[in-house]
Amino acid sequence: MAKISSRQLYFLLACIMPVGKLILMPTHLVYEAKNDLLIPAAVNILIQAGMIFLVMLLSRSNKQLYDMLEYTFGRVVAKVLTLLFSLFLFFAALFPLLEQKQLVQSVFYDTLPSLLVFSPFFIFSIYICATPISSFGRVWDLLAPISIVGFIGIMAFSIGSADFGALLPFGAAGTRAIVSAGAYTMSWFFDSALLLSLVGKFEYKKNMAWKSSLFYLLGGFAILLFLAVFYGIFEGLALRQSFAFSKMSKYFSAITALGRIDYIFIYALSLVMAYFCTLPLHAGVDCLNRALGGNKVATPLYSAGINLVMLFLMFLLDNNFQGANNLITKTLFWLFPLFCVLIPALCLLLRRSPREKRKVS
Amino acid sequence: MKLTGTLEKDLKTLKNILPAEDILTFSFQSKNGIAFTVVYADPISDKELLGEQVIRPLLRYDGKATAEDIGKSITSAELRKNGDIDKLAEEILGGNPVVLFDGMDEAIITGVKKVFVRAIAEPSTDVAVKGPREGFIEDIKINTSLVRRRLKTPDLRFHMMTVGRRSTTSVAVCWLEGTTPKKTVEEVKKKLQEIDIDIIPDSSYLTHFLSSRPYSLLKQVGTTEKPDIFCAKIAEGRVGIIVDGTPIALTVPYLIVEDFQSSEDYFVPAYRATFTRILRLLALLVAIYLPAFYVAAQLFKLQLFPVKLLLTIAGSIRDIPFSPSLEMLLVLFVLEVLNEASIRMPKYVGMALSVVGALVLGETAVSAGFVSTPAIIIIAFSGIGLYAVPNLIEITSVLRLAMLLIAGSVGTYGIILATAFILFYMVTSDNFDTPVLAPFSPLVKRDLRDSIVKYNLGSLDMRPRTLKSKNKRRYKNG
Amino acid sequence: MKSEKFRNFYKTVPLKLFVLLAAIVLIAFFSNDFGLVDIQKTAVILAVGLDKEDENYTVTAQIAVPKGSDRTTGGTSSVEITGEGRTVADGFGQIYAKTGWVPKLVFCNLIVVGEETAKKDVFCCLDYFLRNEYMSDNCLLAVCEGKASELLSSTSAIDDTSSLAVEKLFSDASEKSGKVMKNSLKDFSIAYYGPSHSSYMPYVRAIEQSASSGESTGGNTGGNGGGGSSGGQQTQEKVFSAQETALFRGGVMVALLNAQETFAFSLLESKIVAGTFTVQKEGKSTSMTVIEDKGSVELNMEGAPKATLSVNVRLRLYNRCSASPVEDISASTPTVYDLENANAYLNNCLALLVQKCVESDCDVLLLKRSLYRSSLKKYREWEQTLLQAVTPELKVTARGIT
Repeated sequence: MAKISSRQLYFLLACIMPVGKLILMPTHLVYEAKNDLLIPAAVNILIQAGMIFLVMLLSRSNKQLYDMLEYTFGRVVAKVLTLLFSLFLFFAALFPLLEQKQLVQSVFYDTLPSLLVFSPFFIFSIYICATPISSFGRVWDLLAPISIVGFIGIMAFSIGSADFGALLPFGAAGTRAIVSAGAYTMSWFFDSALLLSLVGKFEYKKNMAWKSSLFYLLGGFAILLFLAVFYGIFEGLALRQSFAFSKMSKYFSAITALGRIDYIFIYALSLVMAYFCTLPLHAGVDCLNRALGGNKVATPLYSAGINLVMLFLMFLLDNNFQGANNLITKTLFWLFPLFCVLIPALCLLLRRSPREKRKVS
Repeated sequence: MKLTGTLEKDLKTLKNILPAEDILTFSFQSKNGIAFTVVYADPISDKELLGEQVIRPLLRYDGKATAEDIGKSITSAELRKNGDIDKLAEEILGGNPVVLFDGMDEAIITGVKKVFVRAIAEPSTDVAVKGPREGFIEDIKINTSLVRRRLKTPDLRFHMMTVGRRSTTSVAVCWLEGTTPKKTVEEVKKKLQEIDIDIIPDSSYLTHFLSSRPYSLLKQVGTTEKPDIFCAKIAEGRVGIIVDGTPIALTVPYLIVEDFQSSEDYFVPAYRATFTRILRLLALLVAIYLPAFYVAAQLFKLQLFPVKLLLTIAGSIRDIPFSPSLEMLLVLFVLEVLNEASIRMPKYVGMALSVVGALVLGETAVSAGFVSTPAIIIIAFSGIGLYAVPNLIEITSVLRLAMLLIAGSVGTYGIILATAFILFYMVTSDNFDTPVLAPFSPLVKRDLRDSIVKYNLGSLDMRPRTLKSKNKRRYKNG
Repeated sequence: MKSEKFRNFYKTVPLKLFVLLAAIVLIAFFSNDFGLVDIQKTAVILAVGLDKEDENYTVTAQIAVPKGSDRTTGGTSSVEITGEGRTVADGFGQIYAKTGWVPKLVFCNLIVVGEETAKKDVFCCLDYFLRNEYMSDNCLLAVCEGKASELLSSTSAIDDTSSLAVEKLFSDASEKSGKVMKNSLKDFSIAYYGPSHSSYMPYVRAIEQSASSGESTGGNTGGNGGGGSSGGQQTQEKVFSAQETALFRGGVMVALLNAQETFAFSLLESKIVAGTFTVQKEGKSTSMTVIEDKGSVELNMEGAPKATLSVNVRLRLYNRCSASPVEDISASTPTVYDLENANAYLNNCLALLVQKCVESDCDVLLLKRSLYRSSLKKYREWEQTLLQAVTPELKVTARGIT
């Protein structure tokens, strides 16, 4: 199968990556920044857009990250660094999975179901993670319109109920709250790290760097619009509206007569989210595979192993969501700027071609 | 094995290869004393024509004893010469009598086989209100002639081959030179040549060998019974395969969108065609998902129903002894059995069967409290939806059952995951280097003009990019 | 040889996994129980009544009872089940214990709070609903005269189920008439937790019908159901009215707006599209319909706080208690005199509304919220005293249809 095309990459940046930020991130932002939630979100989006630009510059060589590490540091160090990077990706994948689990238990059922209902996700994930990343490009082609339709549907149903005046006064939360909101929601902005894992798996084309950033900003704008509508609807109650996207559209007047037709859009976005959750896992399995030898036959085994570990963690953290949440988003939040800002920036210094062997005369 | 030129010896060898009792021989001498023997398969050779066009002229023959001169005296339109005994045996089994004569290491094959064909009729599986009504029949020659009649171009090529060790079924690979990518043609030929099977009773046997994922739930080879559709597909850059003995022709590469298109779409205004295509897609989605969502909503997510509908359903199922999932499975099972029986039953029983199905099973089951009315409505609606896209019935009914089982197990989330899984499976299904979900995935903007939406003919001036046709332009616009 | 075996094994893994998966799905299908609560085991709660006596809560759940498949009549039957406990959750727990049905609040569209309960912080009991992840905060809230349990158990003259009869009062059409100010749990809570800490709920009264029951049963739905509220006994049927509005400050009911004040409140909220009011002047009554309503409340903090309450309405003459020329009847245009009277009437309504708000210190007009949004500093300065200090300026512009 061919490499990921530029269009497919733009779809990922503009339509799929933003979807992962619609579940619990809005409430986390409100918790810290209250009505100023747009400011930290916008800052994070801008930072990530910049990082995506840098990662795209790195991708001009069309070499994969592992290859560049190998050219620069040699095989052993490349393996260690790739392994570390894959560990970070698994760590980054954990919170979206926890979010997804909470979402499933809340939105797909009328009463709290057994955790087992979330287990089938891992069967899906094992299959996905064992497939080459190039297959994903085509999925993004399908998911982009689904994501757009789902998003527009939810926005159309909810924008009329929003009171945008609720976002006033600007800066009421204070600088400290806004900064901590920005820091504590960084765990949702690992987009540049994801893109870093894709470097070399798509063909770099002219102007792709700034176009990618632009598409990411487009998706970012959609997130900001979503956050504004979200806060406009719930105001002070926004704090307890977890799974934001599934709760905003029910106030639409046609719902009373037709039933919850907004679920069409909610399920459409959930479908996209299911794929989104597999992205960091897939990237992690891919890096792990490269670090451990690049054996194609072993990929399904790695995929099964990692997904089983994740499933185990889901069971382990079932009743400790708050603790896991605090650990990932607050205690260890610094890992995200490290791997999603600093490391992608440093990667620009990597060699893009192998060292020339000295001729022995 | 070659002919020796000694009539008796050659005849003996041939009889050894074809010992069957229906292989007859007729020996005679010409006016000038040349000994001839005609070998033919009794049931499939036209004896009248054989006597008229072959034996009578040979009886009167008094020319030289060369195959060329003898051939000239035979009045049959189809004459070939061959000296290979195995090939001659093959021809005899194909219904073409073979004339052997003394002193020559070549025999004359005469094309006077008996042709049993039914009349060309409208195919029952692909009915069009507007547009051509003729359909393929079981004879490969007539089928190829139907294609040739529509594409009177020297670029139309047929590559004849035989597949099946015992059936030696004739297969015609058909393409438009200069339009169809050579790679696809060669790949089809190669795949067909590599088939090592004893008999090919139907073209569906070939689909297994032409698919990259033979065990796939999804279709990977297109099928049609209509020459107009067949020609249209070939003209787009596909390769067609006509198999002797079956009216169903194959086309590759296959795109799933083909099954949402009907020949009629091209004879009605574009907006109408778009509307019906969207309708077919919705019907297909309803067929697959409606029973599943109904069960999932009842078991896990009542909120999917408006409250009044919920109370109506709750009232209907109050006294039903089965769980909603089991009830739906039961009704689905009955529908599938009815469906299967009504297809296989003789027509006069079919009528009675539908009465039994509709009245006895439906009405009585509801009044007896075995199943609820909403369940029957849901399955009926799903059943109707299934037939909106007849080419996908097999896949759709399996998916419907799978979705129902998943919905009854894990609810709506299961349905979403299964959908995600199927989508991923579909996007990774390529056949002949062509993705089945194109032009949606990978997105080919131009090809969307004739997908679920249909543009006016004026906008369809280019051949589908997905098929990588060499000749890109269909016609000059303006 | 060994690697051949391994390769063959590896090749068949997907098939084996598929079979295993299919087996798991089948087992799950036939045994299904992942926290499954299907429709048969569920109590579909349509409305909840909340009463507090001493330290105990009485929770009344109006549960829809599905009619059988042989039903010949329409409407919704229901039964009211009561549970008691120290908390609302206790009350629901008792209902579950009594019926064996799992109480499902996803369809609960009305919460009625008894009058006495409303005089304490209602969030002591609404807290349960706000916390419930499986309940829609879009459900309507109402205070009722007397006890909520009595209201829900009463027999309605217009619907088999009392809560559905009450809900009819809160339709969009009713709201557009200015006869009712409906509020949802979400909006009530937002206002409660917002800078104003004030909100409102419609106040429902049950009015006994003088006609005997049975003959008028069913209203537009026809027939009586098999529920507890609509049995075969001769019970007094009631109709409901929600023309009054209860004002809440800090979750406690502090005042009651009468029909006139409720109408004025609706005007300020720009909700009226076909509301009618009647003015009396010199012994003659004239009814006018508001066909266009633009209301606003503006706060000006330059100098002393000043609130400008503007109502801009376009009116149509609806009914005059005197014989009029045919031309006048066909035009339905109010005269200058009518408009002056309407102006004075609406001014008076607004004044009464403002007075009640000030007296009860209930910022239902959300002045504090406006101040908070425009200036955080001034909000902190005036947070406690704004309502007492503000000078209201009433601006009513009544125009007739042309």
